Amino acid sequence: MTKFGRVGAAVAVAAGIGWSGHAFAQEPTQITMWSNWPDEPAKKEWVTARVKDFEAANKQCTVKLSFIPKADIYTQAKSAVRTGQAPDIFYMEPDQPEFLAGGFLEPLDSYVDLKNLEDWAKPAWTSNGKVYGVPVEAYTVELYYNKDLVKKVGVDVPASFQLTQAQFTDLVKKGVAAGITPVSQGVGDRPFPGGQLLFESLLRKLGPDDYKKLLSGELSFKDPRVQDVMTWMKGLVEAGAYPKSFSTLKLGESHFYFYNTPGALTFPDPSWFTGRAFAPPEKGGMPVGFPLGIMKFPAMDKGACPDCKTLAVAGSFVMYSKSKNKDCAGALLKSMATVDNGTKWIGEVSLQSGLKSDPAKIVSEHKDYFTELNARNSGVTYFFGTPLLYYRAKCADTYVQVMNNAFPAGLLSVQDAAEKMDAACLKK
Amino acid sequence: MPDAPTLTTDSGKARAFPRATLADPRRATRLVLAIFLGPGLLVYCGLTAYPAFRTIYDSFFTIEGLDATFVGLANYRDLMGDETFWVAVRNTFVWSFVAPVLDVATGLLLALALYAGVPFARFLRVAWFTPVLLSYVVVAILWMWIYNYDWGVLNVLLRAVGLGDLASSWLGDPKLALGAVIVTHAWKWAGFNMVVCLAAIHSLPKEVLEAADLDNCGWGAKLRYIIIPLLRPTLLSLYILSFIGKMKVFDLVWIMTQGGPLWATETVSTYVYKRAFNWNTFDLGYPSAIATVWFLVVCVSVIILNRVLGSRERLEY
Repeated sequence: MTKFGRVGAAVAVAAGIGWSGHAFAQEPTQITMWSNWPDEPAKKEWVTARVKDFEAANKQCTVKLSFIPKADIYTQAKSAVRTGQAPDIFYMEPDQPEFLAGGFLEPLDSYVDLKNLEDWAKPAWTSNGKVYGVPVEAYTVELYYNKDLVKKVGVDVPASFQLTQAQFTDLVKKGVAAGITPVSQGVGDRPFPGGQLLFESLLRKLGPDDYKKLLSGELSFKDPRVQDVMTWMKGLVEAGAYPKSFSTLKLGESHFYFYNTPGALTFPDPSWFTGRAFAPPEKGGMPVGFPLGIMKFPAMDKGACPDCKTLAVAGSFVMYSKSKNKDCAGALLKSMATVDNGTKWIGEVSLQSGLKSDPAKIVSEHKDYFTELNARNSGVTYFFGTPLLYYRAKCADTYVQVMNNAFPAGLLSVQDAAEKMDAACLKK
Repeated sequence: MPDAPTLTTDSGKARAFPRATLADPRRATRLVLAIFLGPGLLVYCGLTAYPAFRTIYDSFFTIEGLDATFVGLANYRDLMGDETFWVAVRNTFVWSFVAPVLDVATGLLLALALYAGVPFARFLRVAWFTPVLLSYVVVAILWMWIYNYDWGVLNVLLRAVGLGDLASSWLGDPKLALGAVIVTHAWKWAGFNMVVCLAAIHSLPKEVLEAADLDNCGWGAKLRYIIIPLLRPTLLSLYILSFIGKMKVFDLVWIMTQGGPLWATETVSTYVYKRAFNWNTFDLGYPSAIATVWFLVVCVSVIILNRVLGSRERLEY
């Protein structure tokens, strides 16, 4: 090879190295993301769209997105965070505080524009002044009802949309007499539904301060006001309020039970009800033209706060503190946490969001539903958090076994249930 | 140094053999032993011994996040006062001692039916064995449907024959739930026990059975005095195998009831899982203590069962 040839070859090699180095620099970073909602089309589509938007705007990042049932995410994440193998971003709810306490979550203050989060939603993910989660999904606990069936059994829902204790008991008894299950509810695969009617009633009876004490173990379940509500609840159970298959009926099945076969008068459910109910009927959604109504939970006799109701943050996204791709992961969370995306969430999923939104821009096929939901949430006093946000360890397990299952299933007396809850939850 | 072994050849010349050869594993060199044992030992140490010892080690700590704090025997002390643990122990013992009787008895009955030549024996043998091939998930879902209060086949049948009052929430009633899950488990494993019993029956000495026939021994007497006594070692092996399996039972319970209602089906395994993964804590110390205690209980129980039941026969499992 001539001297010129050697120089040429060297230049070519150098150029090759330079080009490949350039190409290497262009190699996009792949981040992993685990999301819940594999069986809720609207939410799944919202997450998928946000990821696609992000990838289109950030060519240097790609996202390996997986939809996994919530329980599996929690189980897998618990192992994965210990071994450094957790995804960069994963789904989490505030009732799993151990991830935060264990130092496995990255504070998002420097990644996400916190002004885009609702002020009431931030505390759910705030610890030591830093915010650790993007609260996409928020909800209120609602009492849905079948307008036609309620009318058919001879009960008129008042203009306030709130029955009294006695009126609700009457509704239950009339439903049973007509052969219609009064309250569609099942606890076959969830730790909370069986406690909804009781604890929403306790909130209205005790008011937010004492209710918080009850959930914090500072107030006994033997308090006379608590006993009153539990006794009333026991009466409803004995009257046949819940389905016979209550203990094994799954959440999805209880939806179907309510708006399809065999049908029920009411359905206490968080407002994420829409995730399943507004799916196409052939995919288990509500039949077209279903006479859906929303009433307030019954007002308790001598209740301290008839207009109280539970508000909570649910599905959120967090970043793994040992993520090796924090820039891309942070950028994705930032791109998700915008007012525009909050608006899209509400319009597309028909559910509240912890992201701020622009009501004027909400486009929804379910405007009537939203109008009614907003009306039931007008002028209310929110209490933040469900029982499982407060209860931990043995207390939470006892809540699941006793208040979620055995008590509403009629397996325990008021006294026994109160004793078991106090033994597990009451601070000595 | 002792002499090397020698062998006299046809030619009458003595030829020295190396001290160890591949032809005789008992005399293999350490290197050869290491090559053959190494992979197995590595897998055993990595996947069985280390996790077991690590579990015992962890049981003396409280592990929060990435920090482990030595707490001595505190986890064991707490365990002794843990009401749910004792409920789980009771349930697991019920499973382990009672359910194997059901399993083995069902398997034996099915095997005897096939041995006696029931019609469609070939088909029945396959049909009865099929549940063994199904995963616990499939079996659990299938039986959850069967037990469904509203439309489950069990309640539908009861209502159809006028026994509607007996229709129950089989998995929702604490008095029935454990039994319902045990029946499901027995259904799944009956086929396995049947195959083992059938093989054992077929290997019984024919001359003994023929002698019994010559003596005009009836079917019942033959069963009682000849077949079952001769099958005793097999039945005991099956019982202990089943016992060990049930001491660890998890999958079926988790899918069907998650230990509910009111801890009525809680087993030690489901409780360990709950404490490790469902209690809003990363602490593996306490669940490790439960696992350690239970490991010892299983070992002791098997030794006792061996002594009590298998004293006269050598058991293999």
